[in-house]
Amino acid sequence: MERTIIKTEHLERVYATGAVKTYALKDISIEIEEGEFVAIMGKSGSGKSTLLHQLGLLDKPTKGNIIIDGNDVINISEKERTRFRLHELGYVFQSYNLIPELTAIENVYVTPMARNLKKEEYEKMAEEVLTAVGLKDRMYHYPSELSGGQQQRVSIARALVNKPKILFADEPTANLDSASSEDVINLFRKFNKEIGQTIVMVTHEKDEGEKADRIIWVKDGLLDTDK
Amino acid sequence: MQSNDLKVMLFLAYKNLTKSKITFMVIVAVMAMSFLSITFFASIIDGLGYEFEEGMIRGQTGHLMIEPQEDELYISDSADLVKDIRRIPGVVGVARRLDASAVARHETIEIGNPVLFIEPENEKDVSDYWNSVIAGEYLSKRDTDELLIGANLVKSYAEEGDTQKRFDVEVGDRITLSFSNGFVKEYRIKGIYKTGSRFVDDKIIVNFEQYQLIFGSTDDIASNILIALPQRGMEGPYTEQIIDLGVSEQINQWQTKMGAVNQFVGSLQITNQITGTIGLLTAFATIYIIIFINVTNKRKQIGILKAVGIKKQIILGSYVLQSLTYGITGVIIGNIVMKLLLLLLSIHPLNMPIGPVIPILTTERLMTTSATLILASIVAGFFPSKKAADENILDAIFGG
Repeated sequence: MERTIIKTEHLERVYATGAVKTYALKDISIEIEEGEFVAIMGKSGSGKSTLLHQLGLLDKPTKGNIIIDGNDVINISEKERTRFRLHELGYVFQSYNLIPELTAIENVYVTPMARNLKKEEYEKMAEEVLTAVGLKDRMYHYPSELSGGQQQRVSIARALVNKPKILFADEPTANLDSASSEDVINLFRKFNKEIGQTIVMVTHEKDEGEKADRIIWVKDGLLDTDK
Repeated sequence: MQSNDLKVMLFLAYKNLTKSKITFMVIVAVMAMSFLSITFFASIIDGLGYEFEEGMIRGQTGHLMIEPQEDELYISDSADLVKDIRRIPGVVGVARRLDASAVARHETIEIGNPVLFIEPENEKDVSDYWNSVIAGEYLSKRDTDELLIGANLVKSYAEEGDTQKRFDVEVGDRITLSFSNGFVKEYRIKGIYKTGSRFVDDKIIVNFEQYQLIFGSTDDIASNILIALPQRGMEGPYTEQIIDLGVSEQINQWQTKMGAVNQFVGSLQITNQITGTIGLLTAFATIYIIIFINVTNKRKQIGILKAVGIKKQIILGSYVLQSLTYGITGVIIGNIVMKLLLLLLSIHPLNMPIGPVIPILTTERLMTTSATLILASIVAGFFPSKKAADENILDAIFGG
């Protein structure tokens, strides 16, 4: 039986500069099922990344509600949102956003470390997930010693290490060559198929979107089509 | 905060510090230099003030100085009093003196001068005349026709361009002293002394017994008695012990006898406090700016850590820990370098016109400077990292 893991109700995000109001998102109501691989697509400035930021709890909507795994994540404290991001969500950024002072494995295990796990446990978790993304022999390298594709795979490992309920990815292939891009999308596909990982990915590449189970199109901050 | 939060905080701080070695070294170097710039200058001024005071203690006043009651000219029974005081445990030296003035003449030059009558051996325990002789020799008890003359009265020791009237004399030359009672006697210069203190180096010194010869006094009198103690700061307890001997004369501590030196040293200390405060503020601002820039550059990193679910307190704590590390390391290095400088300058003192000066770093100044710089580093780490940690995650990561 399918279970709704993300539900938004009349989501609105407005940026105000003085008296001028810009609607980045307007009346977005969507539902995403557990285990779905969803692509959010749209032109530049359409609001697709803004939508992802709201779902990933990196930003707060001006209006509307977001329910994740049955939890109202809008009307909770900042401390609770932080806890939610750590335990329930994973995030892959366009520009990897690794911590340059940490090695690949340290970048990955910093979040399980924050979950009060023992050293052996979080190191094992990090090793496993880095092995799964094909970086077994690059674990002790610093980001500056890795290629763009490898850095993005570290970023994916970091997002997956806590076994999140949802993995969010914001144009994860935008800075990568075509071979690395394909690797990343194949990894997403693999985790989605093999462990039923729910993935919500923003992309502007149509062929990448077509590899998802479903595409949500956003246009001018409004839900365009959902198929 | 959980113990685990502290673990993550320490981990992030450690990684940042060890990976950014150049940043670490630059900030620590600035901290250490700031520490040195404040303490070194202040320690020289303190050393200068101390040297002025020490010059007076070792030349004029001793640690304690017994003087006649206000309506008396002399201390009577002074030899017995000296013996009694010498019996007090811990007293380093006791010496009595007589003061007079005379007109000194050599060839055509005449100068009115203070004349100090001393007991040469006792005097060694309370003053530095004996080891300040730069030409000739110090007086001995048997020297009845010899004197010591201060370098300030000798032309060859005058600064270039100095026009003050001085004697063109050297050791072995003769000087005639004419006293107020009409007594005139010619003395041979046995030695020329220079302590470095201008308040001391303008005297003529002759043997104590000469006073009786000149003034015909047969009583056991002294103008004052100088007492040397093991160190400064012990004047109070020793004064009480001397009073317990039944001494009715004035017992003055050296601080009360400094006169113009007190004003000068006081002025130095005020100057030191002002420059020290300005130095501390400047150091505070410098350190704040450097750490501020460093933390501001880590704004994106702070945003990323928040985005992946690291608590704000952990992030904030890790940056404050880093700043604290900069502060403590800088202060420790500053302390070590300062100690080495002090050690070096105690072996090779700074040669100043008043004499050799050894910088003095007081514990109070050391603690104040160390604490202020460490506080500056904490404040400098706290506010920018708090600002970044409070910021919207997207603004921190993407700028905004």
